Amino acid sequence: MSASSVALTFELVAKCSTTRARASTMTLPHGPVNLPLFMPVATQASLKGLTPEQLENTGCRLCLNNTYHLGLKPGQEVLDAVGGAHKFQGWNHNILTDSGGFQMVSLLKLATVTEEGVRFLSPHDGTPMLLTPEHSISLQNSIGSDIIMQLDDVLVTTSPDKERMREAMLRSVRWLDRCIAAHKNPDRQNLFCIIQGGLDLEMRRECCAEMVARDTPGIAIGGLSGGEAKDDFCRVVGACTQLLPELKPRYVMGIGYPEDLMVCVALGADMFDCVWPTRTARFGNAITKLGVLNLKREMYAADFGPIEDGCGCPCCRPVEEEGSMGITRAFVHHNAAKETVAAHLLTLHNVWYQLNLMREAREAIIEDRFPAFIRTFFAQIYPDRQSYPSWAVDALRTVGVDLIET
Amino acid sequence: MTNDSQEKPTAMVFEVLKAAIIDGSAARLGRMALAGRRSVDTPNYLAVASRGVVPHMTPDNVGKYLHSGGVYMALEEVIERPQQYSKRQTPIYDTPTSHGRRPLHSFTAMPSDLMTVLSARRLPAVPSPMGNSNASISIFTSTGYQVLTTKEYQNAVETLRPDIAIPLADLTYGPITPTSKRALRMAERTDEWLKNWFADEDASADGPQQRDVAVFAPVLPVSYSIQWEYLERLSEELSTRIAGLAVYNPDVLLDLLSDYANLATLPRLSVSAVTTPHHILRQISLGFDAFVLPFINLVSDAGIAMTFTFPPSQTTPTLLPLGVDLSSPACKTSLAPLSPNCTCYACTAHHAAYVHHLLGAREMLGWTLLQTHNHTVVAAFFASVRAALAQGEEAFEGAAHQFALRYEPEFPAGTGERPRARGYQFKGEAGGEVKPKLNKPAWGKLDGEGGGLGLTRVRAKKGVAPAVAVAAAAVVVAGELVESDAEGGARLETPPVSDGVADVDAQELNSLPR
Repeated sequence: MSASSVALTFELVAKCSTTRARASTMTLPHGPVNLPLFMPVATQASLKGLTPEQLENTGCRLCLNNTYHLGLKPGQEVLDAVGGAHKFQGWNHNILTDSGGFQMVSLLKLATVTEEGVRFLSPHDGTPMLLTPEHSISLQNSIGSDIIMQLDDVLVTTSPDKERMREAMLRSVRWLDRCIAAHKNPDRQNLFCIIQGGLDLEMRRECCAEMVARDTPGIAIGGLSGGEAKDDFCRVVGACTQLLPELKPRYVMGIGYPEDLMVCVALGADMFDCVWPTRTARFGNAITKLGVLNLKREMYAADFGPIEDGCGCPCCRPVEEEGSMGITRAFVHHNAAKETVAAHLLTLHNVWYQLNLMREAREAIIEDRFPAFIRTFFAQIYPDRQSYPSWAVDALRTVGVDLIET
Repeated sequence: MTNDSQEKPTAMVFEVLKAAIIDGSAARLGRMALAGRRSVDTPNYLAVASRGVVPHMTPDNVGKYLHSGGVYMALEEVIERPQQYSKRQTPIYDTPTSHGRRPLHSFTAMPSDLMTVLSARRLPAVPSPMGNSNASISIFTSTGYQVLTTKEYQNAVETLRPDIAIPLADLTYGPITPTSKRALRMAERTDEWLKNWFADEDASADGPQQRDVAVFAPVLPVSYSIQWEYLERLSEELSTRIAGLAVYNPDVLLDLLSDYANLATLPRLSVSAVTTPHHILRQISLGFDAFVLPFINLVSDAGIAMTFTFPPSQTTPTLLPLGVDLSSPACKTSLAPLSPNCTCYACTAHHAAYVHHLLGAREMLGWTLLQTHNHTVVAAFFASVRAALAQGEEAFEGAAHQFALRYEPEFPAGTGERPRARGYQFKGEAGGEVKPKLNKPAWGKLDGEGGGLGLTRVRAKKGVAPAVAVAAAAVVVAGELVESDAEGGARLETPPVSDGVADVDAQELNSLPR
């Protein structure tokens, strides 16, 4: 089964017979990508010390850039002069950009939202500035990313003000219309809508109906990952995916913990992004199938094993194999927080881990053994079933997987 | 001593392929070969590692893009003792020897075709307030000053097995020229230490095994007349035991070679921390074969892309710069490579505009790409030098003369922000004043009292400093030669161009920000 819009083809490859997990292939202007998928975040057109060549070698074919940051540096003029972000950063694969709205809220506490757009003080000189849906789309058109996001009115999900939440949801719908009207390159850039509505499932359902009616090539679930309870988060994702059309990619924004990824895949989501894997790498943390290891701890000072046993990344694979660097935990420990190379190595490992987790999940879905895959996944991270997070157990029960009883 | 131990060390083979026959040039072509490593055509250079890594380059990129002869490492960077774990065995000494790799290679994940050179101290090294004793030197680790005995250093070499080791020398590293009394003691101690080094090696059961480490004897940065006894021992007793010379002041070389012809066949490694290609050319003329070059890392950190070629391009009448400052606004939209016709990864896959952006955004990839590029430029420079030498000494000396005329004496000052000074080695030296911060703080309060509201990014103003100021300070390893010896006096180490860094007062250099 497949569906096409002008610049995106979505092919559903397989569905899990128990959960709502799906395996699919999405073809974008810069080539096909396999879903479910984790997208690493190259905020300022660079993935934190990795060369585009190294990123490509992890198998990454779709990464993020941030519109807000690229708009400040290098700026729209430079992007226009150079010919877009792909050429600018030497990346010949796909790019997704956010709208810049999230950074307004997360970085600038002085931002105010009006019907016109988001008002904020320029971080350069403190002058008042305005980010409108039209301006956001114009920036993203200059960036030339394969997937662009609408500007939305983002509120903290935990906001108790129902009226304001509803206003934000309805405004996001109106802003989508303005984004669609302002979008100059629908033939080569895919505009995704963003479902808003906080933790109120009714509001989310209403938003889904409005957004789906606008028939964008893909759909994002936004406003989450802002400190809400994990149970609430899972309920929202589960409610939205049930209402979304089957033959469109579903993107849950800002998700990156391995447990979250697995639960969201089971709930029927396809795409995820998060800065956590690369940020935590710079703090000396390695993500492994047995959990997160802080390699700055003294216990790793003389540990001459690989970062993660059995991992296939260029740091960890056995020394005698082609392309292996033979990195040990002791070496990372030695340089963590002292030389940038330690951060680069852990970034490489963590990105590999995230992409590989999604590759393995996809295979499991195709071979229809995804429930078993999730069970093994949790069993490796936690010492026993009693310590499994209850939100994950509950969320997975809603899609027919019981982690506690086998 | 048995006959066996008298044999020429087999760890390294050096052959001189072509030596100068004209007056005024001792330049020569050679080849260093070590078992299991890529053979190194000389003249060539060694990259300088920091804590076992070439700064900003992961080992896979080092393997692909670093075309140096090898990598220079300092033991003081890998043997720190954190206070709370002061009793622990230094982790690096436990590195397993798997897959036939030497422990130093294994620990640092160094690609196996590159050779490693181990010394006790960084280049340039932070002067220690404690000074050295009769059987130890003072080193500066990430957890503070530490005493390194001659015995521990020798054991470290035995355990880690670098390809080349430079035995301990009694060096002062400060900006102050040692008194003649101190200089004499430097020579006596170094002499004693090297003598004991080989005596211990013979006594040790592992003696023969250790001979797969080539020993490069240090030649001190004091005048020839002060260290002649030591040099005589090198020539008469130890010439068959040492595989090369590590020379801290290039001007001692001429006297040494004229008096001790049997040392002439040894490769000569310059550890004088030169700061420009002009200095390199001069030392090649003096007869140096290999160079440890810390300035490459410093130039990259300054945001400078090297642009020099050898011989210089013939087209412009004006002085050419040795590099371009990629933080300059001129690079903002430039899709050109970092330097014309460069074929390195950074120049073929990327362009100046991208590196300009990365430097401005303080993204680490900017320095990674600059390192890739600058090391490629230096490697190409040495390859061209060898090609000229192969044509003949006149070709080389002519091109070197052109180079001195065409290029500016120094690298431009970088106007961009530097990467965060990553470590202890950049902290203030003992007794010295606190260095001013190079980069402006990234975050401050909006309008002074922000009440937590306005975290705002402060626009960074440029910190302007000569790219190689620190390296320049390092030229002063132990003060210049203050020569009384009639023959040596005329051949002080001065740069081939006027108003170079060596003219600047050493004290002033030391106080410059990095």
